[in-house]
Amino acid sequence: MTANPPAAFTGASRYVLDDELAAIVNISMALEMPLLLKGEPGTGKTMLAHAIAENLGMPLIVLNVKSSMKLVEALYQYDTLTRLNDSRFGDSQRDVSDIEAYIKMGKIGQAFVADTRTVLLIDEIDKADTDFQDDMLDVLDQMEFDIIEIDKTIQTRHRPVIIVTSNAKKDLSDPFLGRCNFHHIAFPDPKMMRKIIHVHFPDIDKALMDAAVETFYRLRELDSVEKRPATRELINWIRALRADPDFKPKNLSRGEVPFLGVLFKKSQDYQRASSVVHRRKLF
Amino acid sequence: MFIDFFYSLKDNGVPVSPTAFLTLHRALKTGLIRSLNDFYTAGRAILVKSERFFDRYDQIFAHAFEGAELPEMEGLELDEMARAMLEEWLQHPKELADALGIDEEQLQRLTPEELLEYFKERLKDQDGEHHGGNRWIGTGGTSPVGHSGYHPGGMRVGGVSRNKSAVKVALDRRYRDYSLSGPLRASMMNEALKRLRHLVPSGPRDQVNVDETIYQTMKNAGEIEIVFDRDLKDRLKVILAIDNGGWSMDPYVKMVQTLFDYARAQFKDLKTFFFHNTIYDALWKDPTRYKQPVRLEEFARYDPATRLILVGDASMAPYELMAREGSIYIQERSGDPSLRRLQMLAETFDKAVWLNPVPQARWNYTQTINVIGDIFPMFELSIDGIEAMVTHLTSKKP
Repeated sequence: MTANPPAAFTGASRYVLDDELAAIVNISMALEMPLLLKGEPGTGKTMLAHAIAENLGMPLIVLNVKSSMKLVEALYQYDTLTRLNDSRFGDSQRDVSDIEAYIKMGKIGQAFVADTRTVLLIDEIDKADTDFQDDMLDVLDQMEFDIIEIDKTIQTRHRPVIIVTSNAKKDLSDPFLGRCNFHHIAFPDPKMMRKIIHVHFPDIDKALMDAAVETFYRLRELDSVEKRPATRELINWIRALRADPDFKPKNLSRGEVPFLGVLFKKSQDYQRASSVVHRRKLF
Repeated sequence: MFIDFFYSLKDNGVPVSPTAFLTLHRALKTGLIRSLNDFYTAGRAILVKSERFFDRYDQIFAHAFEGAELPEMEGLELDEMARAMLEEWLQHPKELADALGIDEEQLQRLTPEELLEYFKERLKDQDGEHHGGNRWIGTGGTSPVGHSGYHPGGMRVGGVSRNKSAVKVALDRRYRDYSLSGPLRASMMNEALKRLRHLVPSGPRDQVNVDETIYQTMKNAGEIEIVFDRDLKDRLKVILAIDNGGWSMDPYVKMVQTLFDYARAQFKDLKTFFFHNTIYDALWKDPTRYKQPVRLEEFARYDPATRLILVGDASMAPYELMAREGSIYIQERSGDPSLRRLQMLAETFDKAVWLNPVPQARWNYTQTINVIGDIFPMFELSIDGIEAMVTHLTSKKP
């Protein structure tokens, strides 16, 4: 299965990678273990999978986990309705007696039967019930699953690179954690943040960058804020600032902070932030 | 290889499994781990499965590979020391200021928390030569500092760096804020809030929603689709009673209030009251504990399903709790000891808990904490404690 040359992940065009995370990604790929990523929303957990896929030239398959999802849906679906329709009207090319023709692969299934090694992103696994994780244990362990309807076992042709993300809404079960490698993406420091911004806005001018980053980190320091703004909010905010023709970077250091709503999404947080900003403007 | 490292992780409360340890060795064989730095990252990703243990891992890593002091005890002792100094400061501000060589005025401007931090810093700065020469250590038997067995000369803080970058990284303790033990800090509010959000009663989806079922079935072209709803339940009512007397509670009062205020949407009703040390005849609605007393008998009128959450350090002189006329306020003389009052509250409400900012490890040293802990289930005011409290408050059994 390790027929592929040991590809190493080094970063991608829209993603700034720190060495630590790169090492962890490479180790997980070498061990063929899923990598579980946790971290504040908006710190680039999902982006990482996109970046790996881009960098290694593998197709990316995204499984967005939903709260009511059962694992079988992610593996395969048996399309009974089409079969019923075909058996009634018989105007399709499919052979109604062949159930396999009506089996559609789900996202995990697709990754398993793909012709090349793929990157499989299982996004926000904590949304689903714990059953979902428990059911997944076997699949991850054996790298195979059964299709009950046709009594067939699907095995992976190429072990996919599996990235699992979690927002820590619920604790994940211990056996599941035992099968993953784990990394917590810490919030980037200002230096790193500058690099990230630079990747997204290569032509940004220095005054805007300095003022925005400084104001952003100052706003993040506010206590009693429930959802602190993260990288995603900062990038959207800068996009908004750049789109506003009246905006001058100097205004930020003077304490005029426009588009607070881009940064703070909860009404209590917004009020708190704007009251602080206003107070500063007074003196 | 590294078996000692593995066991010191295990002994220090990081949940590590043998399988993960074997995986680590598999990783070593891949040839991807070429430096101590790589080993640090790989070891963490493979062995440690939650960011709450990252801090612990950092400390143990630094200990195992560079011989840095395992700081668990040190932290505790420093805390204790600093607290003792704070007490000393409250009694003899002048002497302490002189001993430390700083301006009394300057100290006065600091909040208790800042003072604690400041003292801790000072303690770390101490080296051998000052030992014994300091007045605050020498003030005889009055200060508990002397017998906590601490020798500034013998302690190393932070370890020595010999350009081993992984150890340096580990010593940075970047993940300190993610460590969920220890008293609640402002930076952990988010995590705490997340835990508090779970404080909702929820039943199984076991009620058939007839209208929705008919609609969905029609939409499904007659294929029957039954839709279930969650049994609707009343949202929680919560009474929060905070001990806001004395400096020991100061750092926590605001934090707890903000915390519950943010979670307010979760509750049907949230009332906040205040008390000092323990409860006698009344709780106060105003933080000054002067204007709006609410007599304890009134609480019998509240819905017994209300969750009562008391926040306090539960540390006081035993007589305040047990004596008939225990109150330190002269106007509170009902004749019942506070203990009885607390028992009454515990009987009034089905679910009542006590949140305590004092670390759990130290509860046994204070008699009154034990006594109150017998009346109310007591939880530490930390993320883990709040989590346990939420589980307790939402559990079905009484």
